[in-house]
Amino acid sequence: MKAGGLGLAAVPALAACGRGFGGGGDGDSGDGVTLNMVWWGDAVRAEKTQAALDAFMEQHEGVKIEVEYQDSGPYQDKLATRFAAGDPPDLMAMRMDSLREYADRGALLDLNEYAGDLDLSGLSDNAATIAEVGDSIYGVPAGLNTVGFVVRQDFAERYGVAVPDGDTWGWEDLAAFATAITDASGGEVYGTGFEAQTLANILVFTRQRGEDFFTEDDRLGVTAATVQAWFEMINGMRADGGFPPAGFFENIGGSADQSYIAQGKLASQIIPTNNFLGYNEACGGTLALLRMPGETQGARRGQSVDCPHLWSVASESEHPETALKLLDFLLNDPAASLATGTTRGVPANAEVAEEIKSSLEPDDQLATDFLISLQGEDLPRSLLYPPGGSAVFDFLDALAVEVEFGRVGPADAAAQFIEQAEGAIAG
Amino acid sequence: MSTETAVMPEADVPPAPGDGRPSAGRLRGRRARKDRAGYLFLLPWFIGMLFTVVPFFASLYLAFTDYNLLNSPKWIGFENFTAMFRDPVLLKSLQVTFVYTFVSVPLSLAAALGVAMILNKGIRALPVYRAVFYLPSLLGASVAVVLLWRYVFGLDGIVNAFLGWFGVPAIAWTSDPDYALTTLIILHIWTFGSPMVIFLAGLRQIPVMYYEAAAVDGASKWRRFRSITLPLLSPIIFFNLIQSLIASFQTFTQGFVMNDGGGGPANSTLFYNLYLYQQGFNQFNMGYASAMAWTLLVIIAAFTALTFFSAKYWVNYDN
Repeated sequence: MKAGGLGLAAVPALAACGRGFGGGGDGDSGDGVTLNMVWWGDAVRAEKTQAALDAFMEQHEGVKIEVEYQDSGPYQDKLATRFAAGDPPDLMAMRMDSLREYADRGALLDLNEYAGDLDLSGLSDNAATIAEVGDSIYGVPAGLNTVGFVVRQDFAERYGVAVPDGDTWGWEDLAAFATAITDASGGEVYGTGFEAQTLANILVFTRQRGEDFFTEDDRLGVTAATVQAWFEMINGMRADGGFPPAGFFENIGGSADQSYIAQGKLASQIIPTNNFLGYNEACGGTLALLRMPGETQGARRGQSVDCPHLWSVASESEHPETALKLLDFLLNDPAASLATGTTRGVPANAEVAEEIKSSLEPDDQLATDFLISLQGEDLPRSLLYPPGGSAVFDFLDALAVEVEFGRVGPADAAAQFIEQAEGAIAG
Repeated sequence: MSTETAVMPEADVPPAPGDGRPSAGRLRGRRARKDRAGYLFLLPWFIGMLFTVVPFFASLYLAFTDYNLLNSPKWIGFENFTAMFRDPVLLKSLQVTFVYTFVSVPLSLAAALGVAMILNKGIRALPVYRAVFYLPSLLGASVAVVLLWRYVFGLDGIVNAFLGWFGVPAIAWTSDPDYALTTLIILHIWTFGSPMVIFLAGLRQIPVMYYEAAAVDGASKWRRFRSITLPLLSPIIFFNLIQSLIASFQTFTQGFVMNDGGGGPANSTLFYNLYLYQQGFNQFNMGYASAMAWTLLVIIAAFTALTFFSAKYWVNYDN
């Protein structure tokens, strides 16, 4: 027992010496490496994650994992202060829009330098390099995800409106569907509704018009014309009645149960596809999952395979090898994904995703198939957000509300947005 | 806050009975004992200060640096301060904070004084009413109540249902940029409890004989209020005004919770402190955030000084 523990723990210690890194503290030798792992999420995710970690610790005696998790909002603050205090966690959940803030300042480990410890060969090229900056990779997807449209089939049936073909529909089809539902329901139900300021939504629209929201060389790629068209399209649907009036979207919390579509106030909305199961349950199993509109009409495809949640390792981690071993386990070992399911999205390793699919609930299987088939298609790659990106969303948020309430016109709002966003990225 | 209220009544302790002419030595002894008690009450504050004094001076240093939390701070002189003048969002947040303060502080003090005067009329079960009216101010800045407020003022909330009886169309109180700040101002006015309790204590100090004498002379209710209550209560009003001003300039929770940390809709509830927080923790501009914090200190100090300066024209310290 003791010998076995020593033997296992000795591997990271040796590797640490090889890097000429002081040979590791007392943590890397002897019988205990304690990793600190932090992420955002809820209690259900915590339970699933713990099951995966237990499986890892069974394989690696002597490794202890201290987990901390919380809501995504406070998580961001906590993570920043941990780094500021010089006490970063070993393994951490990282958001796409925060990655550059940390990576550009040398806070994250370049995973390319540890290619021997972390096997990325099971990932699609897009997934493996989703957090690539220059020649370095600073994170790997904890799961893959995309956005889709969910439509309440019971409403469509009740009001005699056909559900559009999700593979070929355009934004005009959405508008026509929405108006028809609202009219037929006498205003009880709005045909569709989503937030103009949610980045994942406008991102699809931007890409369909042949632009990237942010370009590869860290500039703003979206044009004023596109932002204006986006606002005008939503304003048009609102004027026709298919889209709810200004002020309809309040802060109701993010859970599927509380959503407007579950409350029966909307007939369709946009969701991250890994939440399909939750939404469909909340809607009594009446939902159909459609692709985003406009995929066949635009200049190019708009949907992308994204990653809501990356795993990154701190460059100051005292146990990078152990952290990478855990990361490799989470990424490539089916046992880990069997435990966690699709709580963070579809497993990035395609083989693992196929392997665990049969163990998932039918709704999760459907969402997984949706994503797997999307991954096989030729989509423009998703790009990281440049530093200062988070300020850009604040501007978009404020301006979208100004447009919603008619205080600023779409053209003015678009021009203001471009000016503010360019300033934020340049600064 | 609690320290002040705990210490305040001490000043009003009546002179000890006895010969009425204590010797100088005894007086000094009593003074020393009293001082000791005072310091004892202040002890928690001193202990707390040990933990704030370092960050306090660190932030002064950081205000003159470019500091992103991850790399060491870089000295940039006054650049953070000059950048503030060019930041339209910062100016917007100042505007929000000023409107909020200058509308809600007078109104909440007026509400506090009004309720205190009603409660001072010798109502039975006064402690119960006092507690009931005080309760909101314990809760007002809490997350739970702001969340509750979101529902009360929601599209399907009680307020719209009530207005609906009078044919008023539903208003998006929390998501319409024209109304969101108003909703928070109403929330603030509702939390008049702590100034009310202090007003109530002050009202009880005003000798009844003044009112009796004025009534005999035929003074109207309004006249008695203006000529007796207000002047004799002015030190208390002054105290409450300073307290409320300082607290109001530092408002954070309401704007943070009402719109999930965003200060929305359209920055209409982006309080200065909330923007400071966003700059520091969301956008990693900790140097800029520190500069903002020190600027707020100067703003608060200026308004406090102004209030103190004005005191000699309206605060009456004579008995």
